[in-house]
Amino acid sequence: MHNSKLKSIYLSLLVAFIFLLFPWSGLALKLRPDFMLLVIIFWLLRAPNQCNVGTAWFVGLCVDLATGGTFGQYALAYTVTAFFAVIYQRRLVLFNATQQLVYVFLLLLISQIVLLILKTFAGTESPDWGYFLPSLTGTLLWQIAVTLGLNTGRLSRGS
Amino acid sequence: MVRGFHQNLEQQQAPAFFARGPSPFARLVFFAALSLALMATDSRLKYLTTVRENLMVLLHPLQVIANSPSRLYNYAGEYFSTHHYLLNENERLKKQSLQQQITLQRLKTLTLENANLRDLLQANKSMTERSTLGEIVHVGRDSFSKKVVVNRGSNHQIIAGAAVVDATGVIGQVTRTYPSSSEVTLITDKSLAIPVQLERNGLRAIAFGHGRDNTLDLPYLPANVDIKRGDKLVTSGIDGIYPVGLAVATVAEIKSTPDSPFARIVCVPTGGIENHRQVLLVSIPQTEIPVNEEKSAVDKKKPAKPANSQPARQGASTPARPQQPVEQAVVNTANKPPVNVTSKPHAQ
Repeated sequence: MHNSKLKSIYLSLLVAFIFLLFPWSGLALKLRPDFMLLVIIFWLLRAPNQCNVGTAWFVGLCVDLATGGTFGQYALAYTVTAFFAVIYQRRLVLFNATQQLVYVFLLLLISQIVLLILKTFAGTESPDWGYFLPSLTGTLLWQIAVTLGLNTGRLSRGS
Repeated sequence: MVRGFHQNLEQQQAPAFFARGPSPFARLVFFAALSLALMATDSRLKYLTTVRENLMVLLHPLQVIANSPSRLYNYAGEYFSTHHYLLNENERLKKQSLQQQITLQRLKTLTLENANLRDLLQANKSMTERSTLGEIVHVGRDSFSKKVVVNRGSNHQIIAGAAVVDATGVIGQVTRTYPSSSEVTLITDKSLAIPVQLERNGLRAIAFGHGRDNTLDLPYLPANVDIKRGDKLVTSGIDGIYPVGLAVATVAEIKSTPDSPFARIVCVPTGGIENHRQVLLVSIPQTEIPVNEEKSAVDKKKPAKPANSQPARQGASTPARPQQPVEQAVVNTANKPPVNVTSKPHAQ
């Protein structure tokens, strides 16, 4: 059972990575949700024994490689996000659907804010509010996945 | 008995529910420190360049997989394109080819004539640049920087610093090369500057990318500068990277604010930064040491070439053998002594 879970973790991360590598451009690029972060948040909440802050860091490093930015930017953003995801993971079973959605939105926002701070230090100019759109689309994607029957750990009290 | 029980308890492992290793906070501190160290190493020292290149090789198959749906879509689109459309396109291309042939012939005679004149004057030989046709694979994934990735890399003798042009003008510069792809920073990126010249009066300036909305800025020009809306900017070539006379941008807006001695000039790039797929990578010209300094100053009379971007079209006609770069002569004043820069009487 452990093995199959690990396998599905790797597989889902790989699929998310290929999604990230799609040739996005224009509006789609602006709206593109952070697939990798969504998958890692899902597994952090669903399988905290297999996935931890370190996993998120490694995934962030892969994203850094794909985006071609400075190494460590996404890694740090994902690490911080994963930390907040993990410390509230046990409380999550008490959350209802809406609360969970807000929680995921906040997590996505945290990663974007960390990234924004890092980029500001690196000297890029501050983007407009459209920068935070991927958090919204990410939350939307999460909701779609939940509606389609993905168990996001809310009912995992018994398992 | 009790002691035995205690020992038993100590030997017992914590139940799986609590077995989580170091606390999340400890992990956070550790990995955050690691990330910060990585960032510092990557931005200040150059150790990670080779690591990145090697990892990109591993990434390449995934990239191919990710690109396949859009490629399939394009292929299907081409396959089902209508007869009418193809006829139209054929006609248009024929017309274009004819027009270009005429200019090309003129260019050939002019090049010959120029070479002869240079021989007569014993001036520096004009430089030749090698160029390679590439295709944009995908747009950069970082929303903070304007970058594209092109499917030609160090395997095709592309080196960082090469200029990237398309049929309508300069679009950027290669900033990072991987074995089979390279990263091109567009001229609209905030970190890229390009030396330009006004086509109308030869005024030199440096255009900086604006970063956000696909425009270029011309900072550090006085408020009373002779510049008008619609003026064309071409590369000046004094940087030794871009060939002379390629179209860069058109002046779109000039604002002079009373609190600043400088005019705020916004330009729109001419090159199809967001919509072309084929680009030409022009290698950095070999810098020669000027043999005869005063002789080369004769060139300053040469007017800026019209922005018809000959090299882009010339190279684009031979996509069949990209690994054998198209040799072409582009007149470049890059190896002129700096005297030449200031000796333009009408520069200011």
